[in-house]
Amino acid sequence: MSIINDPRVVEFNIRTDEMLINMGPQHPSTHGVLRLVLRTDGEVVLGAAPHIGYLHRCAEKIGENLAPRQWVPYTDRMDYLASMNMNLGWALVVEKLLQLEVPEKGRHLRVLVAELNRIASHLVAMGTYGLDLGSFTPFLYAFREREKILDLFEQVCGARLTYSYIVPGGVTGDLPQGWLQNCAQFLQELEPVVDDYHALLTSNAIFIKRTAGVGVLPGEMAVNYGCTGPVLRGSGIDQDLRRDGEPWYTSLYDGYQFAVIVQKEGHYPQDHDYPAVPAEAVLGDCWHRFYVRMLEVVQSMDIVRQALDKYAAAAGDCGTPIKLNHKLPPGEAYLETEAPKGQMGFYLVTDGSAIPWRVRARSSCFANVSVTSELCRGCLLADVPAIVGSLDIVLGEIDR
Amino acid sequence: MAEFLVHTLSLPAPLAYLLAALIHCGFILGLVAAGAVVFIWAERKVSGRIQDRLGPTRTGGKFGWLQSPADGIKVLAKEDLIPRAADRLLFRAAPYVSFSSSFTAYLALPFADGWVAFDTNVAVFFILAVLGLEVFGVILAGYASGSKWSLFGAMREAAQVVSYEVPLGICVVIPVLLTGTMNLTTIANMQAGWCSNWLIFHDPFTFAVFWIYATCALASVNRAPFDLAEAESELVAGFMTEYSGMRWSLFFMAEYSSMLLVSCLAVILFFGGWHGPIPVFDWLGWAYPGGASSWQLTGFLANLAGCVNFITKAVIGVTVMLWIRWTLPRLRIDQVMTMCLKYCVPLAAICFIGALWWQVAGWWSPNHWLPLRPDGPGGMRETWVVAPEAACGEVARRLPWADSAPPHGAARRTLPGCGLAGPPAGWRTGSPAAARGGVQ
Amino acid sequence: MTIWAATDWYAFFFLLFALLACGFAAAVLFTSNIVRMAFYLTLSLGATAGLFFLAGAEFVGVMQLMIYVGGTLVLLVFGVMLTARAPFLSLRPRSGEWIVSLIAGGTLLFLLIASAFGVRNWRTASDSGPLPLAEAQTATAVGAGLTGVRVDRLNRDAAGHALSQLPHTDSGYLLPFVIVSVHLLVVLVGAAYLARAKVRRRSATESTASVEG
Repeated sequence: MSIINDPRVVEFNIRTDEMLINMGPQHPSTHGVLRLVLRTDGEVVLGAAPHIGYLHRCAEKIGENLAPRQWVPYTDRMDYLASMNMNLGWALVVEKLLQLEVPEKGRHLRVLVAELNRIASHLVAMGTYGLDLGSFTPFLYAFREREKILDLFEQVCGARLTYSYIVPGGVTGDLPQGWLQNCAQFLQELEPVVDDYHALLTSNAIFIKRTAGVGVLPGEMAVNYGCTGPVLRGSGIDQDLRRDGEPWYTSLYDGYQFAVIVQKEGHYPQDHDYPAVPAEAVLGDCWHRFYVRMLEVVQSMDIVRQALDKYAAAAGDCGTPIKLNHKLPPGEAYLETEAPKGQMGFYLVTDGSAIPWRVRARSSCFANVSVTSELCRGCLLADVPAIVGSLDIVLGEIDR
Repeated sequence: MAEFLVHTLSLPAPLAYLLAALIHCGFILGLVAAGAVVFIWAERKVSGRIQDRLGPTRTGGKFGWLQSPADGIKVLAKEDLIPRAADRLLFRAAPYVSFSSSFTAYLALPFADGWVAFDTNVAVFFILAVLGLEVFGVILAGYASGSKWSLFGAMREAAQVVSYEVPLGICVVIPVLLTGTMNLTTIANMQAGWCSNWLIFHDPFTFAVFWIYATCALASVNRAPFDLAEAESELVAGFMTEYSGMRWSLFFMAEYSSMLLVSCLAVILFFGGWHGPIPVFDWLGWAYPGGASSWQLTGFLANLAGCVNFITKAVIGVTVMLWIRWTLPRLRIDQVMTMCLKYCVPLAAICFIGALWWQVAGWWSPNHWLPLRPDGPGGMRETWVVAPEAACGEVARRLPWADSAPPHGAARRTLPGCGLAGPPAGWRTGSPAAARGGVQ
Repeated sequence: MTIWAATDWYAFFFLLFALLACGFAAAVLFTSNIVRMAFYLTLSLGATAGLFFLAGAEFVGVMQLMIYVGGTLVLLVFGVMLTARAPFLSLRPRSGEWIVSLIAGGTLLFLLIASAFGVRNWRTASDSGPLPLAEAQTATAVGAGLTGVRVDRLNRDAAGHALSQLPHTDSGYLLPFVIVSVHLLVVLVGAAYLARAKVRRRSATESTASVEG
């Protein structure tokens, strides 16, 4: 079938009463440089096609010319809202290839900063989602809390957004004096504010009207499209790599108590006082994906508290980063980690020199954004930002 | 004011009327412009405080009060862009249509007893009708911009505004029903005295109607949560996308002046207008007694204080609108229409019947406490519920020709087809001032 | 300052509004862009409302603004705007159409002028001019008429003064009012029915099938 007759291509065969609308790449509500071509009949969207590639920076090709330690900043700039998790994924896969174990203290430190960055990433997701729907205030409240996290990270590694902190072999530097107390105080300040967010968004009647029943993603479709992370868990599929993944990754979380946020047997985990699920919300809709992220913030706060104690109790050092000319044994390794936006995978193929032969990043948001065309079919134009926002995509990761 | 100019400055009557009209327009324009300046500043400060930040703090000192003039200067200096696909005439005309309809509605709005540019007995109707013309500017802007996004925004806004005129009208009719007149000055004067005389406290249905009016007013001036026509995150700026510079700021001023207008209307209809919660000037005896014709300093001061009172109440209403905008997310167009047709209209209709029943049945209302005026809402029902014949007789007597004796000459003119006697002989006189009698 | 007294200001304002109304109506005829036609019609009807205000009929003037300009014309502009695609954007009537419409419009104009000047009572000099308003007009008479009370037909006593007694033989305009209200209701219901969402059948190749969840 030629491309003109392919019904998945929305730009062709437009009827006279239909309109082809271009959202992006510069647009206030697509999260990044995403171009969405919408075919609409009045207010109803008949088909949507995401066009990506505006942020492609050839990261993987560059990875064939740099040592693994040198490629770490390129992982920062993939999901730039969760740099620590990107760094972690890359560091773990290199260490898996080298079979290099990081000391216990370093492992706890990695969990600490990775979960803190998960909180920061989900705060941005929550704030910008409110902004998409017209609620301006939660955005600023979320960024106010995120500022504190960024200040903490600045004390750790000197950077606010792209940290390059977790490197193959360890971390670039240990925590400064008093950082643990600062972090504990931040968690104390964050806890009551989460209730504010629930009042402003999660339990807000207008927010529920805009998101409940909108963009329902059935569990099987999510699995078929390869969606992961809160998108998958919001559809009721119980999968979290921190619990179910490879031992090389799950060993990081050994001894940590946390709940996987997913609706099982009709209800979510009840270890905290979470707001109730409204009657209009359907499993797999935008509201549930948002709700999963909000609850994961609380779970990550628990993990960070445990990590603070475990780090303080652990002895030894945090690991030594590998040298630039460290020869990589020939072979290949692939590891997926649970990043805030989904399962982020890195694939490393080496040929015996210090420079890898092939580097590949499996982006979580890439699969998540591919489901946009299914979800946007038949919805109203005002629902498109609601759906795209609920998928929480970052174009840096999609385009690499 | 025209009589003042005629008598004290000895100007010829037409010139006096022209000057009076210009002065009135000048005042209103000043109010609208000052209002826009103040509200833009207030919006930024209020939104800043709600969002845990400060808002402008540098332009003009610590409070940033020069921010609005600075914005105005910036906007004036922008390049005047007209897109190539735009219809030039309509593109240029649209902001003026919007702004002029918003401005015209102020002509019938009284700011104090007798301080009104166009004292008409159909003031409520006039304001509603003219407010409904603002949607023209929006439609023209959306179409003339020649862009699909603008067209979408204009269509959505037109549907919303036109639909919400219906429940708005029903809500506005209820105070008219209770007071028996559409003259805004009379409606406000009937609520003189203590705040218990305010129409919002007349009965529970009127109280509910005020909240429905507030919702419909928010929708008809396109403020959040009903601001999908300007939804930045979805359609860039909706119908205003292609506008820049002075044209855009005219739309903005039209929006702020509409906000102030619906707030002023709510204050007059429900909150007693310029009469305060406490009738200070009645105690002092400063207020003009009904029908006074000569100017007094005390009366002027009472009116001035009333005007300040009125504007204060209206500004509080606008501040609440700002507050709501920065708190709530936005509703989708189909949810907006559902809210209008399925909730606002039936509720307003039920409250209409309820208020009518309360009035007819004569049940007790807080308006019956301390009525300082026997013709206040507490005593109003006598004139049109209990004695309709008396009311009709009164009206018949006031028609210019109904009360005259039967014709005494074949030269009398009768208006064809209605069987009425014509006007009395000798009606043709010179200046319009004398002919009009004492009406401003 | 004599120019202020010498000018007949009533005639001046009447001519101003009349020229606006007729001028914009002529603009409707002579422009070819259909959206601009709708815009000029708006302005013409607005000027007509001004004429009503000038005559002291404030209620009718406001009704003109609300119903014609704010209702009918909004509908018209909406329809024009949504359907103004390229083939319909520019309407140029052919010369044959011009002639037919000139004949029809001219005949109507002639009839109107003839009948207007034919009313004897409107032609005498003493009757041309503005009617002074002793007091601002209220809409109470209209409202009372619509609910059945003709205040201009109240029973009169021997001296001719109107009594405050309702006429018992006249039902005013109540029946037409109710008929029009029911008519409007029928129109609303019909419009809602016609505008209901219809399910459109799609062919198999364009099926919007989603994975059965």
